[in-house]
Amino acid sequence: MDFQPDLPIPISYVSGRYLLFSIDAVTYLRREHHICGVLIGTLPQIPQQNVFLGLPLELMPEEARLLVDKGVACIVDEAKAHDGMNTLLEEDRRRYLRDLESQGLHVSRIQSDRKERNREQTLKKLEEKKAKAKAKANASAAAVQTPTVPEEATSTPSPKDAAIVDIFNAEDRSSSPSTATTSMPPQGAVAITPATSYPPLPTPPPSSHLSAPAVPPSYPLFAHLHSKGYFLSPGLRFGCQYMAYPGDPLRFHSHFLVVSYDWDQNIDIMDLVVGGRLGTGVKKGFLIGGAQKGIDEVDSEADRVDTVRAFSLEWAGM
Amino acid sequence: MADADEDVIHAPANASTQPEVDLSDETQDFRFLNHLNFFADSSPGIPRRGEKDFEPNPTELQADVLAASRGAMHNALSYPRLHGAKTRVIAFYAPDGYVPPAQPDRAKPKAEEDGKSSESTPKPARPLPNSARISPDACVYVPSPKGQFFKRMGQADSSSRIWLLPEEALYLIERGSLDIRWPRPSASAGGPGEEDLSVPMSLQAAYACFMGRGSLTLERYSVYTGLKRLGYALVRAPGWCDDIEPQDTDVSDGSKAAPAKLHGPGLAGILGSLFNWIHDPLSTASTATGPIIGTGIHRHYMDVYRKLAIIPWYDPVTAPERHPFDTAPPFRVVFHVYKPSTPFKKSAPPPPDFRIAVVSTRDQTTMPTMTQLGALLESTPLTPRVGGKWSGVVSYLRIADSAFGKEKLYENKGGPQGPKRSRTNQKPRKQRMQTMEMSIVHRNRAQMDLAHLSVTYHLCWVVDHRELKMLSAPIGAIVVALARIYPTLVTALRQTHPSRSGSGLATHIGAKIYISYDTT
Repeated sequence: MDFQPDLPIPISYVSGRYLLFSIDAVTYLRREHHICGVLIGTLPQIPQQNVFLGLPLELMPEEARLLVDKGVACIVDEAKAHDGMNTLLEEDRRRYLRDLESQGLHVSRIQSDRKERNREQTLKKLEEKKAKAKAKANASAAAVQTPTVPEEATSTPSPKDAAIVDIFNAEDRSSSPSTATTSMPPQGAVAITPATSYPPLPTPPPSSHLSAPAVPPSYPLFAHLHSKGYFLSPGLRFGCQYMAYPGDPLRFHSHFLVVSYDWDQNIDIMDLVVGGRLGTGVKKGFLIGGAQKGIDEVDSEADRVDTVRAFSLEWAGM
Repeated sequence: MADADEDVIHAPANASTQPEVDLSDETQDFRFLNHLNFFADSSPGIPRRGEKDFEPNPTELQADVLAASRGAMHNALSYPRLHGAKTRVIAFYAPDGYVPPAQPDRAKPKAEEDGKSSESTPKPARPLPNSARISPDACVYVPSPKGQFFKRMGQADSSSRIWLLPEEALYLIERGSLDIRWPRPSASAGGPGEEDLSVPMSLQAAYACFMGRGSLTLERYSVYTGLKRLGYALVRAPGWCDDIEPQDTDVSDGSKAAPAKLHGPGLAGILGSLFNWIHDPLSTASTATGPIIGTGIHRHYMDVYRKLAIIPWYDPVTAPERHPFDTAPPFRVVFHVYKPSTPFKKSAPPPPDFRIAVVSTRDQTTMPTMTQLGALLESTPLTPRVGGKWSGVVSYLRIADSAFGKEKLYENKGGPQGPKRSRTNQKPRKQRMQTMEMSIVHRNRAQMDLAHLSVTYHLCWVVDHRELKMLSAPIGAIVVALARIYPTLVTALRQTHPSRSGSGLATHIGAKIYISYDTT
């Protein structure tokens, strides 16, 4: 769980976007650096929905830049790195395939174990039920027994599991009783599509790293809020630039709709009204801010971050 | 008016009481996934929305819950993409794109390797007609396709291998339904021992190789995969390639004529003709010089109303058809979308249910201009949708033409007067009903997401006085937004109709474009 990946973490640069494919890197960056990104991939276990998404994780250029500036990550041109696939040595291929196969064997063993356990559980449950039915029939007068029900409810998290088990059970009985001994002999290793290409490919050398990503003018505000401990995510859903969360978005609602302005930029009063009303309407504050110094007045982006000021608006009504 | 205003704003505040809550709007707590049994093959439902805390505090309870959430997320995301022996579909990556099977040195070993020696029949020189359908962008082929996915994806070549486009291959590998292999290291004489060395492609490799191939961008792919996950079928539209210019199509002279018409008299010309049609040719007075009603004999209110209807309006039906390539690249239809319920045949796709143009809101921060929208709408006979995407977040805008002027409100005012023009009456009425439904359903959302367009005023009264209470705000509000963003357009309209007041202008814009927002 508290896995520490090797730094710097390579961020894949694919067709102009910044992606992460390693789950360890994703968890690590979220835990240690408050970088969440947006999951854009399909979860293979429940593919037909859009509520829970899976790898890869897309990072905003701001996020990638922040990590690169911190020295935590580096940018790798993934298309170029994968050219190395053609020149992979034969023994490397063999080793890689062997690894995959052993992983596949492991998974299929787990699967058959689980199946076995499920079977045993259902069989046990069936027996219990039978016994209970018998007991009930024997002493139908003593109808004051309720203890088994809550017990069961705690052991199985949802009634759905029970249903699944029942289905499984029905299937099993209809197929044949003899499968108990031969249920899925682990003959075939399950084939696996790995998430990353970095066992077979060597880690790209530092010389091949790309330069830090170009960032929009709102970057100083982004970095400023991030340095204050906020988690930031893209704000398209609320018509702003970023959403600022006080903690991990897994557990907290966002507090601010963030829009960045240049220091000397004229702000349309309508935008303030709109943002203020919208923010209050969705129980968030409307936060505007910007860096006092322009990019040509300071040495680096980092210096600008120190000059950021931010204001929040709330719609009070009169 | 102010009260109605407040109501609209405060409605989303009690969002918890709203029946429809879009779960994908927020980051979900992955612990809810733990209740789902992944190894069961029944399809699990989507968990309910969980409670979140307001802000972090130093309690251990909160830390534990957070750690549990992260752990659940870690577990869910590290779930491997497995291919059981029965359901496994193997595909091969062809970096050079589609290779006709006539070349035996490529096709044969692959067929053998899948244990299908029947495939090695001498390849006929005549390709099946659908070989021509295989896009030059296709880069993954499936030697022995099985399963439900290939009903709506890919194109078969003459040796019944299915060729997949990059986005299709990527979608399938991502959902764990396809095992894509790297091409063999070299053209070494393929002994049986050699075949073990086809290395499976990782998800990362698939992204690296397929993304950017044949104008596939991550935005387009996100839209594609997002809709696929919801069960829609998508095919590429003719406007897929950005670099196709109108001149290399044979209809170029036709397409050149259309924009000239639009930029010249264009809209005004059409409006003018309608305007004349609305007007009674026998009218005794001209609006420019005399009273509108004139001195004729008016036996009926209808005649008077008809003469009062001097504001020209736009009718999408009469607009000229345009070629898809007249549109500027980001605002061009790239996908045709079919609802899951639409019977769909790969070889002969029916007219699409939606047309989608994909726009990256990072690169394109403003709404499309009137010209761009106009071109987009005129190139499509039906409703297109624009999917905007900003770093992984996709939102869809539905853009539709509507002809507000078609509905003659004064005619169905008194009921019995109606039948006179029942033909023109029926159709528009339906349109109006749809418009109203949509705006009511999506009112809050439209307000939220178009907020950066300064949606502040309600101009519904321009459309019709008597319907004021029934029409919801965003129609008018968006009118204002567009008018504010496109001052040049307003100026142009002013020049075309110098006598019209500001409200009249709004009518034009409002009659032309209606946007509703929707996060499917």
